Amino acid sequence: MPRQAIVARNLSYWYGRLVAVDHISFSVAEGEIFGFLGPNGAGKSTTVNMLTGQLKPKSGHAVLLGLDVARYTNEVQAKIGVCFEESNLYEQMSAVENLELFARLFGTRSFNPYPLLKRVGLGGREKDRVETYSKGMKQRLMVARALANRPRILFLDEPTAGLDPTSAKSIRNLIRTVRHQGTTVLLTTHDMMEADELSDRLAFINHGKIVALDTPHNLKQQYGKRALKVQVTNQSGGLENREVVLDTSDTPDAIHELFSKENVVTVHSEEATLGDIFIALTGRGLIGPKPAPARPTKRRARR
Amino acid sequence: MSLRVVGALVAKDLSLFFRNKFFGLITALGIVAYIVIYFVMPSSVNETLQLGLYAEVVPPAFEQLAEEGIVFEEVESEDALVEAVTDGQYAVGVALPPDILELFAAGERPQITVYSTADTPEEVTDAVEVVIRELAYLQVGEPLAVDISAEVLGPDMLGQQIPLRDRMRPLLAVFLVLFEMIGLAGLITDEVQQGTGRALLVTPATVPDLFAAKGLLGVGLAFGQAALFMAVIGGLNSQPLIILTALFLGAVLVTGFAFLIASLSRDMMSSLGWGMLILIVFIIPAFGILFPGTVSGWAKAIPSYYLADTVHQASAVGAGWGDVWLNLLVWLGIDLAVVVAGVAAVGRRLR
Repeated sequence: MPRQAIVARNLSYWYGRLVAVDHISFSVAEGEIFGFLGPNGAGKSTTVNMLTGQLKPKSGHAVLLGLDVARYTNEVQAKIGVCFEESNLYEQMSAVENLELFARLFGTRSFNPYPLLKRVGLGGREKDRVETYSKGMKQRLMVARALANRPRILFLDEPTAGLDPTSAKSIRNLIRTVRHQGTTVLLTTHDMMEADELSDRLAFINHGKIVALDTPHNLKQQYGKRALKVQVTNQSGGLENREVVLDTSDTPDAIHELFSKENVVTVHSEEATLGDIFIALTGRGLIGPKPAPARPTKRRARR
Repeated sequence: MSLRVVGALVAKDLSLFFRNKFFGLITALGIVAYIVIYFVMPSSVNETLQLGLYAEVVPPAFEQLAEEGIVFEEVESEDALVEAVTDGQYAVGVALPPDILELFAAGERPQITVYSTADTPEEVTDAVEVVIRELAYLQVGEPLAVDISAEVLGPDMLGQQIPLRDRMRPLLAVFLVLFEMIGLAGLITDEVQQGTGRALLVTPATVPDLFAAKGLLGVGLAFGQAALFMAVIGGLNSQPLIILTALFLGAVLVTGFAFLIASLSRDMMSSLGWGMLILIVFIIPAFGILFPGTVSGWAKAIPSYYLADTVHQASAVGAGWGDVWLNLLVWLGIDLAVVVAGVAAVGRRLR
């Protein structure tokens, strides 16, 4: 059985009367990429803040690499890397200086920032001030900074948000690479495609509770609806859409009837998406409106 | 607290401080400018009052005045006297009538004109009038029917009055120390606003590490500059330990205020605004030393009074520990209160 890198046991946190995280429990195995999904204000950031030692749980325990985070905060933080959603680099410093500063804070010996910067595609711009970087370059530098201490667990908060497809792809490749090197990754994202593509397992969080947790495949199997999208010609020569739901006892008959009675032009299979599943589970979209009191509380938590 | 972490943070803060062109330039130029200002100021006090005099005949009593520290310089005509006073060559000009001796002899009252400008302090014109009346009495042989005895309150600095530039020492030292408050506050505000503080706090760096680093930087910059300034201008020739202690406590105070400002500020401009407000208030006691009598007792309610007064007393008057211990004690108490409040306030924002 693989060792657990992250264990959350009955974690709770509340701001005044607002319960941000409500007794959630889950574990992440070493070397696993774990997707953490939920709409704004659902409790993702608060959970990550507790796991990374930025907040002390009001109840429950967060255990990373066998150490209680609240008790051994410094020891845990020495072994993790955190990449924030919003750029928080020293803009007046170069990429090399940013990385060297963090390597010094971690006490990383014989740290060479150049290979790391090359890996994230910043080769040739290492000594430029960060303020001259594009958003994508800053995001890649954030990921590089999170890797400066060769972490055993990497926390990534929306690592590809707002990036062009090329930058996003390079970051995804990097995530895969560090996972292959044995690093556990907890990925917080709104991007369902990305979560589906990268994650070994996913947890959906809503109103501070985990509402589903499994592999993407199993979640789709359990909650999703596969279908055939068919275009047929009608009597006047125009196109009409038909849908045949798969995986039901009526499916074979429905397909037979369609092909025998209609003039089929195109056929596409449609997989269930994680977004659909989430809406089905929570009744709200991933980037939908937030409950009114949650927003200021979440902002406070991020400071 | 880790020395390695604090060292790395101080090096980073120092580097960032001087990369901010505004603060780097102000710091470098500030210390040079203050030293230049100090040396440009008069290094001694001219205790002789120079007055312009137009008189066809100078009564003998007027010629004795040089011994009293009042020098009358004669000019060729009354018009020349008016022009010299208008040009600021003399604070006051005195024109005697040509028949003054005859009028004295006849027991009549001659008309003496005293010229001055709007810039002339009222005290000077009043003093000149009194002197002329006394001279008149001397000239006619009727001494004033009163004896005047001068009493000097506080240290009698007659003959060794404090030059303007030495009076400026506390003002310049307070300026140097206070300006670092604005720079440090800006640095902390940036750390909070840009989220870099948060990034640091998910490394082995702790909140006490951050405060230690910022505190070392603030105290180091403020104290270092003020001590260097005082050393260059010779301000440490008298009671150096007292002055250095006062400057160190001043540097601690501005660090505490920098924390408070950072806790209130949303960006660099607001930290600059708060900083200037505090700076203006804190400068008032130093002006009181520069221009005695302009600031009353309420200045003691301003914390910087205890820094300015201690620096002035020790450097200009040679006051010892026994004279300034209360100042330093009050200053230390204020330091502790402000630093604790500042750490608590900005700590909340960092967390």
